[in-house]
This record gives sequence, structure tokens and C-alpha cells, in this order.
Amino acid sequence: MKRQLTITTEPIDEAALLARRSMSSGVGAAVYFVGVVRGIEDGARISGLDYEVFQRMVEHQMSLVFDDMAKRWPVESVRLVHRVGVVKVGEPSLWVEVTAPHRSEAFASCQWLIDELKRVAPIWKKAGGCDA
Amino acid sequence: MRVTVCFFSWFKDLAGCARTEATLPAASTVEELLRTLVVRFPELAPIERSALIAVGLDYQQRRHVLQDGDEVSLFPPVQGG
Repeated sequence: MKRQLTITTEPIDEAALLARRSMSSGVGAAVYFVGVVRGIEDGARISGLDYEVFQRMVEHQMSLVFDDMAKRWPVESVRLVHRVGVVKVGEPSLWVEVTAPHRSEAFASCQWLIDELKRVAPIWKKAGGCDA
Repeated sequence: MRVTVCFFSWFKDLAGCARTEATLPAASTVEELLRTLVVRFPELAPIERSALIAVGLDYQQRRHVLQDGDEVSLFPPVQGG
């Protein structure tokens, strides 16, 4: 399984990521997830979120998650981008692509992957960090 | 033995620092380290039981036995994604 993890403070360029999609001839499904910062957090309006990351541990933990994912489903590739630092409301903080032979494993593995990211990746967020 | 302790997220605010060193008897556990830290940083007392612990880059339980030179990280529940 090809895997790519990117932790970045730069805005997520979805068009550029899509342009770099690569699928072999036996792969018929590509599933995408984009997580966008909401305007309300814990009931209060916010202008953005400030993400903190323990990057070395995220890289290690997600490597373990990718290993597990490859054992569970016939996924050809996974690309995951998590933006950190200040992310304004309406901007994506998470971008995920999973490619697999069929949609059932692509959808299932993508949901599982995001659930695992949220369970183990040492990333934290707090409101603010942006001009209103 | 000496270990390095790193605090993340709002635990840095509680401790007043992002990083510190701790000297412990050989074969001390994470639990024993936490008790030492609460004495040094009383503001950590409320989170002693709920903190997540990593030694190096792996999550560990409180019964985990530390080694000289370990880097121990303390942080609240993660919020990625």
C-alpha cells in the first residue's frame, strides 16, 4: 500500500492534490474526505482554530495506522494531509484520499482511517489565532 | 536515572513550561514519575489521572517502567482531524 502523510502549516491545495492522483488499472475507486473548520466550537462562534502537533509522534502513530489499514483492506494508496497552526473557519484542516479496487473497501477504510487519526494522532486545537 | 518530560497543549500552561527534567530511582514507573511531577507542579494534580502518556513516540500505561534517558510526554485527549 502506498502511503503519504503530510503535516503542513500551508493551506491545503485540493486541486494540486487531485491533479497528482495516481491509480493503477485494477483500481476503480477513489474516496475523498475533506475536514473543514466550522464556525462554531463548543457552542461559541470562532474565527478559526490553532492546531498544535507533536509531529514525530504523529508520523510514527500514523505509520502504525497505515500498516494496520493495509492488513485490513486491499487499499492501493492513501494520502493524508493535516494542516496545523492557524486555520480559518471555512478552510480545510484535513484532506484524505484512499484508492482501492472497489468502493466498499475504499469507503470503509477511509472512515476507519479518519477514526483512527482522531483516536491516536497527538494533535490538539484551540479556538482563535485569527483576526475576526 | 534522568528522564525528560514534555508537556503539550494546555498542560504547558499548567506546568509553566514545555519541557523539564526529572531524576528518579532506577526502574521507576510512569506512575511514580507522575507523582513526582505533581509535587513539583501542583497545578498538574487535576489531570494526573486523565493525562495521556507517551514514552518516546508510543503510548504507554502508567505501569510502564522507565529507563534512563527516556523522553516522556504528557498531554490531554487528542483532537486531530
